[in-house]
Amino acid sequence: MADIVRKHVVSVEGQTVRERLQAMDDSAVVTEFLGGEERAFSELVTRYQTRLLNFIYRTIGDREKAEDLVQEVFIRVYRHLHRFDRSKKFSTWAYTIASNLAKNELRNRSRNPLVLFQTVQKNFQDEDRPLQFEDTTSRPDDMYRKRHLREIVEETVAKLPEHHRNVFILRELEGKSYEEIAEITECNLGTVKSRLNRARNSFAEIIAPYVD
Amino acid sequence: MDCREFCDQHLAFVDDTIAGIELVRMQRHLTECESCAKQDAKIRRALLLFRNLPSIEPSANFSDRLEARLKECQTEQLVHSQRNLRLGAVAATLASVLMLGYIGTTLYGHSETPHDLVMPPVVASIPESELMPASGPAMVTSVSAGLTIWPAALFAEQVPVRFAHSQLELANYTR
Repeated sequence: MADIVRKHVVSVEGQTVRERLQAMDDSAVVTEFLGGEERAFSELVTRYQTRLLNFIYRTIGDREKAEDLVQEVFIRVYRHLHRFDRSKKFSTWAYTIASNLAKNELRNRSRNPLVLFQTVQKNFQDEDRPLQFEDTTSRPDDMYRKRHLREIVEETVAKLPEHHRNVFILRELEGKSYEEIAEITECNLGTVKSRLNRARNSFAEIIAPYVD
Repeated sequence: MDCREFCDQHLAFVDDTIAGIELVRMQRHLTECESCAKQDAKIRRALLLFRNLPSIEPSANFSDRLEARLKECQTEQLVHSQRNLRLGAVAATLASVLMLGYIGTTLYGHSETPHDLVMPPVVASIPESELMPASGPAMVTSVSAGLTIWPAALFAEQVPVRFAHSQLELANYTR
């Protein structure tokens, strides 16, 4: 009986801690983690796993690899969080790690033709997978049109030069400010604006025939 | 506003980060220039399409995999810190042993009986003496002139040298 009561108390306490962490901003969650609250790291993972996964996936175009890289981001965050400059935004730091990992992955691919071939083959096989992101209650022709359009958009993004694509995704998908993008990509503000402008124009130019 | 200026400011125009007066000028240019209006619509439509891309979610085993990797990471860190601790302990022990050794030698080194001093051998040498010959022409002249005091003073001055010299010579002869 006492065990049941104790378990209940612990679970209530655990629930309270989780709720408290959810209400905090990133900086406070980081402080909690560094103060010894291990559950704070789970909160950071919950907040960023999907965002980072989408960012890396749109950058490298390989879902499985993107998941591996997101895991790597969290491992690095876990290892080096004590060295993180808390006067800066946690999200910017996490995205900087993710951006660098994605960049390295693209560089490795371009150096290793076998990896490139495997990625292309995997993406080709992905065509046969069941639809995951569309509403299954839609009509089949609608589903086909949406899927086709999604593929075109993804292909178009992939066609952008790497440094344009990176800035483009950070701005349009992640909603980062110019200043944050400059910090993440380690470029100056002028370069970020110029790249973003070019990326937008190129993207619109490539996709226009499919949309009209 | 011309088309070039419109293109230059289009980024800020789309992001709504443009100043009020500029915004009005841009909007006016859109109504006046069909080409720029088309380009603006093309970009906005493309961006809308991209922003509405469906989000992908992590796979079902993502959390389990991450948790396993984090545990590995914790173990690594623990092993690493233990190894560092061990290395630190070894280094501290070594340092203390060295320090004790140094202190010991310093303390006991002073209390030991001093060794006999070994001095380098002294080599005696005979100074080159420039003794005035007793029967030199100057001496003969002075004696014959009745000036006896000066040579006598000279001899008296050179006595220790002459005496030592003769003793050394004697020692050499007897050896």
